[in-house]
Amino acid sequence: MSDVVVVGAGLAGLTAAIRLARAGRAVTLLSAGVGGLQLSQGTVDLLGYTPDRVHHPLDAIDRTADADHAHPYHHLRADGVRHAVEWFAEVLGPGELVGSLQTNVHLPTAVGALRPTALMPPSMAAGDLRDGANVAIIGLRRLKDLYPDLIADNLSRTDLPSGGRVNARGVHVDFVVRDGESDSSGLVTARALDDSSTLLRFADAMARELTDDDHVVGVPAVLGLVDTQTVWSTLQTRLGRPVFEIPLPPPSVPGIRMNASLTAHAKAAGVRFVMGGRVVGATREGTRITGLQTDTAGRLRLTRSPWIVFAPGGFESGAIDVDSYGAIREPVFDLPLAHVPSDPVVSADYWADHPLFRTGVAVDHSMRPVDPTGAAVLDNLVVAGGLIAGATRWREKSGEGIAIATAVRAADTIIEDGS
Amino acid sequence: MKSLETDVIVIGGGATGSGVLRDAAMRGYRAILVERVDLGQGTTGRFHGLLHSGGRYVVTDPRSATECAQETAILSKIAADAVEQTGGLFVTTPADDPEYADKFAAACLATDVPVQEIAVAEALRREPRLNPKISRAFAVNDGSVDAWKLIWGNVHSAMEYGAQVLTYHWVTQVLRDGDRVCGVVCRDDVHGGEVRIDADFVINAGGVWAGQIADMAGCPDVQVVPGRGVMIAMNHRLVNTVVNRCDPPGDGDIIVPIHTVCVIGTTDTKVDSPDDLPIPRDEVQQMLDAGEVLVPGFRQSRALHAWAGARPLVKDTRVAADDTRHMSRGMAAFDHLERDGVRGFLTISGGKATTFRLMAQVVVDQMCEQRGDTRPCRTGDEVMPTAREGRNYTVGHRLADREGDRLDDPLICECELVTRSMIEEHLTETPTASFDDIRRQMRLGMGPCQGGFCSMRATGIGHEIGALDAARANDRLRLFLTNRWIGLHTILHGDQVHQTVLDKWIFDGTLDVEHLPQAQEAGQ
Repeated sequence: MSDVVVVGAGLAGLTAAIRLARAGRAVTLLSAGVGGLQLSQGTVDLLGYTPDRVHHPLDAIDRTADADHAHPYHHLRADGVRHAVEWFAEVLGPGELVGSLQTNVHLPTAVGALRPTALMPPSMAAGDLRDGANVAIIGLRRLKDLYPDLIADNLSRTDLPSGGRVNARGVHVDFVVRDGESDSSGLVTARALDDSSTLLRFADAMARELTDDDHVVGVPAVLGLVDTQTVWSTLQTRLGRPVFEIPLPPPSVPGIRMNASLTAHAKAAGVRFVMGGRVVGATREGTRITGLQTDTAGRLRLTRSPWIVFAPGGFESGAIDVDSYGAIREPVFDLPLAHVPSDPVVSADYWADHPLFRTGVAVDHSMRPVDPTGAAVLDNLVVAGGLIAGATRWREKSGEGIAIATAVRAADTIIEDGS
Repeated sequence: MKSLETDVIVIGGGATGSGVLRDAAMRGYRAILVERVDLGQGTTGRFHGLLHSGGRYVVTDPRSATECAQETAILSKIAADAVEQTGGLFVTTPADDPEYADKFAAACLATDVPVQEIAVAEALRREPRLNPKISRAFAVNDGSVDAWKLIWGNVHSAMEYGAQVLTYHWVTQVLRDGDRVCGVVCRDDVHGGEVRIDADFVINAGGVWAGQIADMAGCPDVQVVPGRGVMIAMNHRLVNTVVNRCDPPGDGDIIVPIHTVCVIGTTDTKVDSPDDLPIPRDEVQQMLDAGEVLVPGFRQSRALHAWAGARPLVKDTRVAADDTRHMSRGMAAFDHLERDGVRGFLTISGGKATTFRLMAQVVVDQMCEQRGDTRPCRTGDEVMPTAREGRNYTVGHRLADREGDRLDDPLICECELVTRSMIEEHLTETPTASFDDIRRQMRLGMGPCQGGFCSMRATGIGHEIGALDAARANDRLRLFLTNRWIGLHTILHGDQVHQTVLDKWIFDGTLDVEHLPQAQEAGQ
């Protein structure tokens, strides 16, 4: 029997599993499938908008923690987030994650908006553009998820958060990934670039389109699936100038890389992975969960462990159900939900801050789920990540910060318990 | 002011107006259609897509029933590409009056609506998800019709006969010369400016807006009451044939399989304005309950999108309700010469999409009569240019097309199998097209992800080929997301919540569309 079962293979689940395993716990990670990290853009966002653009995320986290007691950061504060994310960055190492927790950078998106984030893969760092830079945005004719002219035109007419503007231009490269294929996904392209001769062909095709005036080059985030460091540095060397990756809509190559890396770290630390085991219910004695029921290969199995980290994700993962009558429920443990909106659950205005998306499980400082009075409802279960109530993560750009910091806090609750 | 001259102006780009345009053009008249927004953006583009066998009306409106049966047979030939011959069933559920079935069967015979009673076991074999507690089942010739394809079929046919179509041309004046209508003035909402069109004749096919247009011509009291109907598209074809409740016509009595979805319809609520059609949550709930009666488990299925359309319910206070010459056939044709002493102006409204061709025939016959011309209608005999291949629509047609070009043409909308060249061609021809205009043309963004992946790509393509500058491209993208949300927010439950939040992560999260530079920042 494991000491801890972690439910969920997303960023929060993987982070908690690594933290626990490195502290000597025997960890089993149960998940319905591959986690949602593969859909993410591969950066570590702490806090990007409140709703004004955030330049110093730790300061903004403390302001949020003070102003909004229902926000997940209320329990973590800047100290908790820094402690967790610094540890997380050490796990991945500077070869995979760079940046500062003190100051956000603002990286071009695949439509040319400037998106705030704290940490990023080194291959994205040169996207933090400076006044007067001449930027070439390269699009691949056979890749349908990045349109370089649109990005360039939007970048050129945006005031940089650090002041000034850039001159950006779109560049089109017709790079054949596989013969006869006009529609090559980012994933297929990335996989091809792990091959060194393909990479050189790719670099040469780009070099032909650049001029001496192009200071910095933006490319779709397809620079290798396995060895991005080599692919990216080779490309920079061949082009003789900084190159940065621009994340694409899912499936996202940087998200896939981070998922692969964390999974490898977890396995190295001894975490046992059980995929295809959706947790559908639990057995309990009083306020203790005694076993988890998983729906595996058409039958229910019971997994027992003294502790559970519950990190199933948010609405996007189906971790919170909304039925056709509008009833909102956490379906596995029937945990009490906070921020449950009255009808209507979403606003008619697309751009509004929809109350539904703040709905989730409220937790205490130890990440135990609590009822409306603030009392913990279970003794041996802690919650991490997207299930926790109080933030519209995609909008305020806080998804990774909340996931990592709540996962570390949840793991530490178990580690400190010592039993 | 730009000016044009023609024989006939048709106001309204729905099924009826486009049918009138085709009919008039085929009879040798020079004709121009003006539409205030896009073709099929009104009622025609907002129904469930049923091509009536007539079965729905055999008891309550026998004449309409016979007409529907005849028109469905005609449309299946002349607009084959728009019609899927799904067949239909009328089934008696436990919630229905069991005595209605015999009345229904007898009335079908009396109205020449083809019908065959089949065993309940056979009905359940054909439609396994149907309520197993049904007690009777009748097979009829219902089908489903893509209303937009129907309109473009009419329009392409009319254009072959020299007709013109002006979309986004909003009629601001109907011109009079004494007792005669002699043209219209339109505001061009795409290019700006006004257009004056002189003509001998104006036919008002304004549907729910017909009363407003008649007012402009000095023919008051054409009362068209909008009857709002709410419909919901479900993610799958829960049924492959049209399934009707064998009961007098009522709310939520039908599920129509169309394209890759099926549609439950509909409610009927009188509203004040056809331009303000909310989707009330109680009506959504009513439709979900109604779906459950026909297909148990309906509520657990994934609802994709809801919308509301406005039926034109015509009242003419100047004629008696039983005056069938004026109010016959579920349609309303107003001869304003007889009614108001105004020459050169006719109004056609009411009716249903299935009988649009007949409605056009009636009103163009009236025009010929007033002009003293003898020119017979030929619209029922000639196949539309879009249907010349002679094949009816089948749900797998796009898949078959993509088998041919999948290696050469990137797939931009995976849900509806829309390729890059389809979008490029349309935007090159019509650079002013909004993404919703493109959606009506090729179903962009109408699948399960509701634009989650294709709308950014369409934005990039529109900008790349020069149809849109960056500011307009951003606006188009934001507008498309805003418009898709209208149909999503009232039905957001189950799996569609997961999808919607994934889409939010993409647009608000990864792409940060919210913080794209605004239009006013451009040009600095």
